[in-house]
Amino acid sequence: MMTRALSRLAPLLACLGLLAIWQAGSLMLNTESFPTAMSAVRAVPSILGDKESLVNILDSLRRMAIAFAAALLFAIPLGLMMGRSRLVASFFNPLLMITYPVPKAALMPIIMLWLGVGDLAKMLVIFLGVSLPVIYHSFQGARAVEEKMLWSGAAMGLSAPQRMIRIVLPAALPEILTGCRTGLVLALITMVTSEMIARQSGAGNILFNALDMGQYDTVYAMIIIIGAMGIGLDAAFERLRSRLVRWSEPGFDIPLSFA
Amino acid sequence: MNARALTSEVLLGIVPIALALAVWQGISSFGYAPVTLLPPPGLVFSRLAQQLGTSTFQYEIASTLFRLFAGFSIAVIMGVGIGLAAAASPAVNAVVRPIVRVLAPLPKVALYPALLLLLGFGHESKITLVAADALFPILLSTYYGASMVEQKLIWSAMAAGTPRRQILFKVVLPAAVPSILTGCRIGLVISCIVVFLAEMISSTDGLGHMLVTAARTFQAVDMFVPLITISLLGLILNGLLQGLRSYLLRGFPEV
Amino acid sequence: MKVLPSRPDFEADPALARGPAPAMIEIDRVSQTFRTSGRQAHLALSDISLTIEDGAFVSILGPSGCGKSTLLYIVGGFVSPTEGVARVKGRAITGPGPDRGPVFQEFALFPWKTVLGNVMYGPRQQGVKSPEAEAQSRRLIEMVGLKGFENFYPKELSGGMKQRVALARTLAYHPAVLLMDEPFGALDAHTRTRLQNDLLNIWERDRKTVLFVTHSVDEAVFLSDKVVVMTRAPGRIKQIIDIELPRPRRRAELLLDPRYQKYVVEIERMIDDTSEDGLRP
Ligand SMILES: Nc1ncnc2c1ncn2[C@@H]1O[C@H](COP(=O)(O)OP(=O)(O)OP(=O)(O)O)[C@@H](O)[C@H]1O
Ligand SMILES: [Mg+2]
Repeated sequence: MMTRALSRLAPLLACLGLLAIWQAGSLMLNTESFPTAMSAVRAVPSILGDKESLVNILDSLRRMAIAFAAALLFAIPLGLMMGRSRLVASFFNPLLMITYPVPKAALMPIIMLWLGVGDLAKMLVIFLGVSLPVIYHSFQGARAVEEKMLWSGAAMGLSAPQRMIRIVLPAALPEILTGCRTGLVLALITMVTSEMIARQSGAGNILFNALDMGQYDTVYAMIIIIGAMGIGLDAAFERLRSRLVRWSEPGFDIPLSFA
Repeated sequence: MNARALTSEVLLGIVPIALALAVWQGISSFGYAPVTLLPPPGLVFSRLAQQLGTSTFQYEIASTLFRLFAGFSIAVIMGVGIGLAAAASPAVNAVVRPIVRVLAPLPKVALYPALLLLLGFGHESKITLVAADALFPILLSTYYGASMVEQKLIWSAMAAGTPRRQILFKVVLPAAVPSILTGCRIGLVISCIVVFLAEMISSTDGLGHMLVTAARTFQAVDMFVPLITISLLGLILNGLLQGLRSYLLRGFPEV
Repeated sequence: MKVLPSRPDFEADPALARGPAPAMIEIDRVSQTFRTSGRQAHLALSDISLTIEDGAFVSILGPSGCGKSTLLYIVGGFVSPTEGVARVKGRAITGPGPDRGPVFQEFALFPWKTVLGNVMYGPRQQGVKSPEAEAQSRRLIEMVGLKGFENFYPKELSGGMKQRVALARTLAYHPAVLLMDEPFGALDAHTRTRLQNDLLNIWERDRKTVLFVTHSVDEAVFLSDKVVVMTRAPGRIKQIIDIELPRPRRRAELLLDPRYQKYVVEIERMIDDTSEDGLRP
């Protein structure tokens, strides 16, 4: 009972511990460019209280949500088909291999040339960033589905599309959700970076404008806000995931996040 | 039969790439897009070939590669070290686990301004960012691999007289190598992406910086060149890692 | 639970003629309780006492889940019993040691080492110099019939070959006791018979103490001096049968021997009864 409560609280304790280390570090260094954790936390409400900043941040989240949803709708079916058909897999694999190491946010300047700095460009970049890991994980998940399961499905009279939805999708779900979890953090990262490159609106813009103008408290407060978004979204998604795939063995219980 | 199947698969894989290039060529040669927005592929690739010969471009690649390798190496050393320690010791595990839970989903790019303020605009801040981003996949897969080692392998080694202290290096580490290498592959892709982004945000050299400079002057051709270069670098590095993998894992069953 | 040594044809051996062989392994009122993830206590072994003399070949038979593997792991020192003690050569077992070599059903070969590397691991760990360890290991590999496969990796071997490597790897560090957990369970009948003969040959030459878990009554009777039959969970010892068949044993002769057939039938009947026995206190 005790240990259970403790393991629930452990991430919270870790947060507090990290803030404490930050506090101690900034007190020791004592430079203007590294404010204490306390003063950064204190600046958070003033950013969220400011109407314009809040609208900016919510706008960012809206773009992210739309692009994320679109990416899932596109990437999961593609990944599943790649996993079940050698033909489809060998068709798309090399293309994915060459696009994987390209930072999607770095396409921002080019896409901006074509589409302008509006919502569409930013959402397209997030869409691209999320799609790759989701395709990859859906692909792996579908490929690992046991052949015998599909055979018994076919013997029960399921057609090929039915087998895809009734057997492959649920069997690959744990792996797909792992991909979605990675994609979620990735969406956030791509969002921040693309806004920082476009420098027009959004959370990333506030962060880097503050950096340019030397408003250090705001910089660190924004880092806290964006960090909290990442951790919060991830925790929420993890709760959803563990509910959906209760039957599956626990895999990685921490997402692999990257840009 | 098998070789033929393989060739046809490779050919099939080339199709979409060739198709994309053809569409790209079509759009620009039929004048749907002006050259300033979408230069034809021929122009981009000849520019790339020409640039590859110049020493300035080689210098940009070298500085990108330096940051990439430095950050990636730090991530590998720390990730494997911490991952093994967390798998081996419950005490370390109790501390590392919650911290990783908090830090892994944190968007590390958001930390970059703080790194800039603390470490300056030189190599250090970029290397730190690359390391921070590549660390977690490597750490997690090391931990995962090390804690999934089959109990009976450990028992066999213990029965043969291996002291407990050596089990970690004689059994757990080699048994976790497949998983560690998977983590390294993800970490490598991440390193490519992050080093480029960091250079775009603040730098005076490197491929990312090239892209930003080209974007400022609306030189579309020069924007494509660094992007294609990072993609090629990623492919080459991935190929090298794949080679290392098949050498190190020659005894392991196909994964 | 006193069981006399049962090797009539070795009575002439002067070392053995001096009296009853010294106890190699003593299992003294051992019980094992596991905590399941539902936080229930599960009694896997209940009050097991068993003495195994030096050089004896003892098999354990019993229904699935009765704790045979657990008992073997306790003797191996991999699991410590919740009650009672197990002793080897009179000393309480506190952990694994090179005097007791396990051979697992799953082979558990090191996938990153070749056949030679696997077999050499034990001797190297014991401090044997590399060239000498290699020479010894090559001899062992030849003995188990795998000459020419020294540089193969485990994944490139068949199940029976892997099992032989696992046996050679354990024999290589000269354990006084071999602990074998259904070592031939995963093999086809033909390979199984061949490996049984190989094992008997090795045992008759080296006279190691062997504790052998199996599900096959034939195998147990064919190989052993003594067969221990256990009851359904929680595992207790139901009976210990001395197999008084002459050695060296030849499979072809034994199968026609009425004494052999009688043992097999008797033990099979006993195992059929264990389901009822398990309910009795
Ligand atoms: N680590 C463990 N945790 C909880 N229970 C265990 C554990 N290991 C074994 N058990 C339980 O102990 C009992 C005995 O297990 P054991 O593996 O020794 O059986 P066995 O006789 O070897 O069976 P089989 O012939 O199927 O191999 C089983 O009921 C099993 O559920
Ligand atoms: Mg067993």
